[in-house]
Amino acid sequence: MTELPQSIKNSPDPVPPDSLKGVPRQQTNPSRWNGDGWEAFVAELVSQGITINQGLANRSGYITDGGGIAMGLPRGVLVARSPEDIATTLKAAQKYKVPVSVRGGGLTTEGECISFGALQLDMRGMSNVIHIDETNLTVRTEAGIYWHSLAEALRRRGLDYISAPLNMTSSVGGTLGVGGIDINSPKFGCSADQAIALRVVTPTGEIVECSEQENTELFERVLLGYGQFGVITEATLKIRPFTPITMHYFYYSSLRESVEDLRFLVEEEAADYLGILTMLDRAINLLVAFDSDEKEREFFNKYRKRIKGHGEIGFALHMAAHYALHPWRVKEALYLLERKRSLLPELSPPGHMQEGKIIDRTVVFSRAVWKFWGGKKMIIPDLATSSEKFAEAVEKGNEVCRRYFPHYTLYCVGIKLFGSFESRPRYELSCIPPDAHDFGYGCEFEPMLGNHNYSRDHFQSFKNEIYDIGVDMGTSYYRFGGMMKGYIRRAFGDELVDKHLAMKQKADPAMILNPDVIF
Amino acid sequence: MSKLENKPESIREVDVLIVGASLSAAAASKRLVDAGYETVAIERYALPRNKPCSGIISPRGHRFLIENFGPLPREVLHDPTSCRGVTFHFRGMLQMPMDFDHGSTPHLNRRNSDHWAIMRSKVEVHDSTCLIDLEDKGTHVEILARRNGEEVRYRARLVIGADGPNSQVVRSLYPGYRKSIKWFMVKQHLHEIIECPLDPEYFHFWFHPELGYYTWSHERNGRQIVGVGYDAEEKKLSLRHRMTIEYLEKHYGVKLKPTEEREGVVNNFGLSLINRYVFGKGNVIVTGQAAGFLNMIAEGMSCALHSGAIAGEAAVESMRRNSDLQSVYRDTIASEVRRCSDQWNPIKILFDRPHEADFREALSKLQGRDKRKVIVEIFRFLYPWGRYNWGRQILMQAVLRELRGYYSPSRWL
Repeated sequence: MTELPQSIKNSPDPVPPDSLKGVPRQQTNPSRWNGDGWEAFVAELVSQGITINQGLANRSGYITDGGGIAMGLPRGVLVARSPEDIATTLKAAQKYKVPVSVRGGGLTTEGECISFGALQLDMRGMSNVIHIDETNLTVRTEAGIYWHSLAEALRRRGLDYISAPLNMTSSVGGTLGVGGIDINSPKFGCSADQAIALRVVTPTGEIVECSEQENTELFERVLLGYGQFGVITEATLKIRPFTPITMHYFYYSSLRESVEDLRFLVEEEAADYLGILTMLDRAINLLVAFDSDEKEREFFNKYRKRIKGHGEIGFALHMAAHYALHPWRVKEALYLLERKRSLLPELSPPGHMQEGKIIDRTVVFSRAVWKFWGGKKMIIPDLATSSEKFAEAVEKGNEVCRRYFPHYTLYCVGIKLFGSFESRPRYELSCIPPDAHDFGYGCEFEPMLGNHNYSRDHFQSFKNEIYDIGVDMGTSYYRFGGMMKGYIRRAFGDELVDKHLAMKQKADPAMILNPDVIF
Repeated sequence: MSKLENKPESIREVDVLIVGASLSAAAASKRLVDAGYETVAIERYALPRNKPCSGIISPRGHRFLIENFGPLPREVLHDPTSCRGVTFHFRGMLQMPMDFDHGSTPHLNRRNSDHWAIMRSKVEVHDSTCLIDLEDKGTHVEILARRNGEEVRYRARLVIGADGPNSQVVRSLYPGYRKSIKWFMVKQHLHEIIECPLDPEYFHFWFHPELGYYTWSHERNGRQIVGVGYDAEEKKLSLRHRMTIEYLEKHYGVKLKPTEEREGVVNNFGLSLINRYVFGKGNVIVTGQAAGFLNMIAEGMSCALHSGAIAGEAAVESMRRNSDLQSVYRDTIASEVRRCSDQWNPIKILFDRPHEADFREALSKLQGRDKRKVIVEIFRFLYPWGRYNWGRQILMQAVLRELRGYYSPSRWL
């Protein structure tokens, strides 16, 4: 068979620029790496005492990520044991131009942590808590640790992490690289904003300590940097005393009203935890929780009457009236009832409750997330917006959900910002919306797939429609890497992306660390 | 005795064997190779090979190519490199130009584009290798092929048939199938241009029942293509082509030199209209045009790419989870069936936007009398199709689609 001529391999797409308006001519589903230099790379690592596991059985465990859509089989796997091993590996990777994809909990959804035929670096070999400082309320931990393991270690000392993703099997290092949003993010910001200091292995294999005082530029690039500027091996994080929480639910049948109330409560700092979880767009649940009885009392005295949410009984009567007038929607009513019956008790399980308070939100939320939202595939496109654009973005995204899936959930949160884009360069090219001040907002649009099989194309079309809303409205996204990276230039503009590309090329001359995530 | 019972010792064992090396095969290969499965694609011709095709891919197909195989090199495109839209022509010189929704779309050189895509998928291709027969053993599939006159054997966990409308995979699976459906012949003639006032930026299609079922023209590499499609049993395509040339000269002032080159292909047109797709059985699935996917204006490349990718994904899913290949494939292919059959669905055409060009908007731009004339002409154009008895089936499928939200899988083979 004739090989492709060199000109075909290299020339750019000459279809006129009006074609696929706005969509960049960029391959977003990467090709499998061709393996050039792999043998020499492995041999060099072996000579330095580092073994790459190349067995098929071992590699197969890394074939996909939490999204379950993108597939890529690594050529070899290295379970990280020390920063020195990682440094040696990255130096060799630069020399032989071997792509390295880093993975912690593997909970990306767009294939960001997948290796397409090259080296998979599994950080879960570095998952020890190094030191807990009870006086200054900080913890030093290896970055491959799961948040639930960290929570367990802190809990023994009566301490707690500050904010972490609701899914506790994500790793600390991966989370700091992308954000980490919790329902207390309106109060504490994202997880990346809890980091005080990091140990990082740069793409060229230097081991560097960095913080807001030391190697600041690297610190700011690595936080929310989508793994482009280094591998986080250790992190010092702020922590706090552990407190049980009191949770209240307010119910809405109007998406806009619930979103407006969320914005109001976030911006008034009226509660310690705030978020919206919906059942379709019919039953909308505003979660409001408190660390202290004083804050709870203040909320009920000062804010309760100013929001429109119903209590459970009031909402049940409202819904009964609605479905009595719309009897052809009986299937939807039954779905909502079943969902309520199974989900709500899981958010206050007797084993994790004490005197009406949730004593272990880590377990409660993480379990509920996997049980009710997890599955063999997780499709979670999102929009991250300023306060002003949030309600409209949620409504438009909801319309897309209705057209694509019979059942879905929206998850909305606020995110406190600490400073401006100038004072915190980490916010640049991240999920933090460029036009947000003080608070950003995010909404995830998650279909409930059950056992139904949908094609990847169906999911991709759905995600594209959600992300097109973001392009039209000038928002950001939480998950803009991997398969969705075609939206990066559309959302952030060429100037900013080129600036980051230049920084990346300088930091990672062979462009080997986490390729295909952003660039 | 089956041809497969006489087994030589040398058999190539693979996870998946793909029959064909065109766009649907490339898309399926991409998914399988990415996931690390040992995959071989066999192709009966030596690559790169010619493929009779207009080459005008829809914007959705263009996006798929970019996202999965990268930016298109110049060599995979004809000249003009792109097409802005479609112009419908009706008797009485009535014209309806419609731009594609997402701007111009590529004019693919199928010889090079298919070769480029299959190579970019990184699958191992055995070209000049023709499938002779296959036998599903339940746990695997035995495949007999021929290369340069010699028998070649494969043993695969799964087989994907992506070998076009006249599929040998379908014939092996369903021996009587070929005789059970209607076949059409499509021929495109390339002419040197003396004078051609037809806008070279558009694909031109004639709603003219006397010229043919499928009559089109567009420019390619300085020559003009004039193509005609009709019932394969009629065997008068050359006559229809001559009539079309005369018609174009008389009504449009198109002056062309005699045919320099011609290409023809048989077509299983109709399966997507009546929701009669062929998706295979056991460990063998069928995709692309072999399965019956064909968009309106007979654009098959976009649905070949998407259905091919879905076949690849279904194979990956089935092997990873040890789940039934057929049920995974038939669940996941439903989205592509909706997209494709919606394009032919009269309810969708009247009340929705199933195409990537806005027919209703173009119609609304016409004067009242012309609007009526267009509708009458479309009905006149459809009249000869009555002999295939598809009308009731199309209507029934359209109504059921509205009621259920999907096309019934029970009609699929």
